[in-house]
Amino acid sequence: MSEQVSRRDFLKLAGLGAATTAILTGCGPASRYVKREPYQQMPEYNLVGQSTYYATTCRECAAGCGLVVRTYQGRAIKTEGNAHHPLNLGKTCARGQATLHGLYNPDRVQGPSTGSWDAGIQAVADAFKKYKPSEIAFLMGMTPDHLYDLVSDLAQSTGMNAPLRYGALGMFESRATLSKAAENVFGQAGLPWFDVGKAQIVFSFGANFLETWLSPLAYTRGFAGLREKETKLRGTFVQFESRMSATGAKADKWIPIRPGTEGLVALAIGRLVSEIRSGAALPAFANVDPAQVADEAGIKLATLEELASMFVNSNVLAIPGGAALGQTNGLEIAEAVLTLNALSNNFGKPGGVYLSALAPNQEGTSRPASPIEMYDLVEKMKSGAIKALFVHGVNPIFELPKTLGFEAALANVELYSFATFPDETAAKAKYLLPDHHSLESWGYQRVATGVALPVLSGSQPVVSPYYDTRATADVLIAAAQAAGGKFASALPYKDEVDFIQNKVASLVGDASGSFSASDTATFMARFQQYGGWFRNVESLIVPDASKALYNPVKTTKPSFAGNGEFFFVPFVSPTLAEAGANKPWLQELPDPTTTVMWNTWVEINPDMAKELGLANDDRVRITSEAGSVEAFVYLYPAIRPDTVAMPFGQGHTAYGRYAENRGANPADLFGAYYNDAGDLAFAGMKVKIEKISHAVKNGGLSRMESLMGVYGEGLGGEEH
Amino acid sequence: MIRPDEVKMSVEETGKWGMTINQDVCTGCQACVAACAMENNISFVGEEDSGYGRSMHWIRIERFWEGEYPDVRMTPQQPMMCQQCGHATCEPVCPAFATVHSQAEQLNLQVYNRCVGTRYCANNCPYQVRAFNWRDYQRPEPLSNQLNPDVTVRRMGVMEKCTFCIQRIHRAQDTAKSEGREVMDGEFTTACAQACPADAIVFGRVDKPETLVAQITNNGRGTKHLAELGTLPHVTYFKEG
Repeated sequence: MSEQVSRRDFLKLAGLGAATTAILTGCGPASRYVKREPYQQMPEYNLVGQSTYYATTCRECAAGCGLVVRTYQGRAIKTEGNAHHPLNLGKTCARGQATLHGLYNPDRVQGPSTGSWDAGIQAVADAFKKYKPSEIAFLMGMTPDHLYDLVSDLAQSTGMNAPLRYGALGMFESRATLSKAAENVFGQAGLPWFDVGKAQIVFSFGANFLETWLSPLAYTRGFAGLREKETKLRGTFVQFESRMSATGAKADKWIPIRPGTEGLVALAIGRLVSEIRSGAALPAFANVDPAQVADEAGIKLATLEELASMFVNSNVLAIPGGAALGQTNGLEIAEAVLTLNALSNNFGKPGGVYLSALAPNQEGTSRPASPIEMYDLVEKMKSGAIKALFVHGVNPIFELPKTLGFEAALANVELYSFATFPDETAAKAKYLLPDHHSLESWGYQRVATGVALPVLSGSQPVVSPYYDTRATADVLIAAAQAAGGKFASALPYKDEVDFIQNKVASLVGDASGSFSASDTATFMARFQQYGGWFRNVESLIVPDASKALYNPVKTTKPSFAGNGEFFFVPFVSPTLAEAGANKPWLQELPDPTTTVMWNTWVEINPDMAKELGLANDDRVRITSEAGSVEAFVYLYPAIRPDTVAMPFGQGHTAYGRYAENRGANPADLFGAYYNDAGDLAFAGMKVKIEKISHAVKNGGLSRMESLMGVYGEGLGGEEH
Repeated sequence: MIRPDEVKMSVEETGKWGMTINQDVCTGCQACVAACAMENNISFVGEEDSGYGRSMHWIRIERFWEGEYPDVRMTPQQPMMCQQCGHATCEPVCPAFATVHSQAEQLNLQVYNRCVGTRYCANNCPYQVRAFNWRDYQRPEPLSNQLNPDVTVRRMGVMEKCTFCIQRIHRAQDTAKSEGREVMDGEFTTACAQACPADAIVFGRVDKPETLVAQITNNGRGTKHLAELGTLPHVTYFKEG
């Protein structure tokens, strides 16, 4: 500075800067990337000492929450929730917070395996030309939607297989089952949305809605609404499950029922309620005998009667989910629980059941591939019907049950991976063409559920790409153009941003939304600035359940594969979920129920463990019909004695230094059994437990809790 | 536990900044823990050290079990962090004056470059919320790009703890001062409260009766942990909303 600036003036200037920091920034289409610059030559919007904030969308799960990322001199410092985003209203979960540990992960893929991007793009173009379109398949993760749209367009105009989407979270949520149950009960497929926040009483049959289920932030906000008692009575929450989940831990009443009997219990409660109300059982509930159900579920008839009396004079919201749907009779369970809602006549009413709204540029409901559809893909790979497989945003070797044989089938195909991290599947790729991290990427994501407004959540790069990575959309567009012919005409775009502008073009000029703009450039600038666009019209679909109470609900007995003595309940780690294991701070977050960090455990009832001679931190082998894994014993006071449980999230053999060779993957135990909707019966098995070795001092699980005071260990007497 | 209305508090003892925690809606999801770690440059220590109880969490979520199966129950989740005591037991034992009381902000400060690592303060803290750097914990490149420039990076031999995000307090105060006004309620909040999906954590000025946090604190249903020790904690817990 050549002029003399007094200290007072300088402070005034700095203050002016501070006043503008809270304003969100969007960069116009002309400036596609924010550059990391030395601070002597910062871009004009980047005041030294001041942060710049960019709105984008979280891709740690498929919910589509809005983020605002604080950047400082071109580096992302902190993720916060986007307060303008209708889905998460400024909040984030732990995984959203830790997304920076993905961006700055020391084990990212740093460049294409082909050496240069030109060679990589040529390899993709060659694959397009070399194989018949029917021999090419795309397998994609649950995010991002814009890339899925691009590949769908490409597949549609060239005759390639329509892209499949898959993620372990989607599998554990049994989305196909929920959708099919809605179709069977309401006559309309779709993802049900349960308005927990305005409910009086919630009966959750296994749904882990406060953990990773569908849209955890929206459901957690709903739960806070349920418990709110300044303006209404505090709502009551009852959870039915065989192992107390982090969600069940918040319940006012926790009812440990035998796995697979959730549907029977729902129908028995329905029968008791309808008998009290009208003296006779309605046809939907006529098939069950409450006394017999109590016996099968392993609870007292008095418990069912008590629950029914809670129900009689109030409205109950019944939610099916979690391991309840991962049974061979999962579809019947979902139907029974949805039908129970008909007794409260709460469909399309506050505190009741809706079908989720469609997002602004969405034509029809869509769902990820069910495991049985994934099985078809694997069979096609094995038979040679598919010769080239493109994988983006999913790690199928880890996330699919081993028994499906995906890894072995890879030998028959040429694998093109777009992985950002060196995961198990990327390690097998012939061509590894890394995509940017989500915070370096353009895109959009449709909010599938969790909010009454249709939301299209927008992504923009908040930092310039750290490594020699390239947006997969750009790679595909370039390859399609190099391949020529129908490929080139399928994707006639300059680049990814051009494609996104084309896809949101229908919203330009739409006056019903959170903002309106008359031209594309303005629309895109605001789309980035606000982190998306939403229609200001509540668009939840009201299901028609007028016939629900008059059709008898089927009750099929669950079947359990294997001849072990324990029911097996796998659950998604609430902190790690499907892809968190490579983020060190997520590893160091204590599990909400067990407080274990950095490893895998198997939960056993303390009385049962005593009978088996097992103690905390003993090493055991868990064997199912399909395989076996090893884990540490955790004496868990809130699990049925006939059940053992294990978290999904660890057990990687690749995926970077924080994930590798740590814990075990319960998916290795899953057999290839499905429910009637094609979802995997991941909880439909029985396992054996055998002790491998005694606990060794300081060799067991790292826990946040002290063992002292939990089971009286460490107080003397129970040392071993 | 003593209810806050049973403890006679002078205005000074109420403190300036305070927090309320609604255990009825806390789901134990760990979003606050992750947000705190990201905001405050907290090191992760790895499996072995965390097994020895050396993890650096400034906030942790406590839960206990009651009863026996099948009538077993988890007690309401209890986020526990530095209670920013009015009469802090950690302060008088520090030989280096690293743990001192801020007259201006009524908070317990931890001055890292004074700390010589005697760990007396951690021994004396009844809430067990202080974390000691037993090693120089590594952040392999490029993880260090994420460090918050507003927060000191601590090294081996230094004690650390929750600061009520004092960097955010100062930033808000500076902004308000340059605009010639007072800091408004809700203008900023701590990293944990900002992330909390259930809004279980509320932060703000407890000495101004119109603020949200003061209204919740003074509704008479809360408890202060170990208030009977006379520590005058500035965090109020609500078991049932």
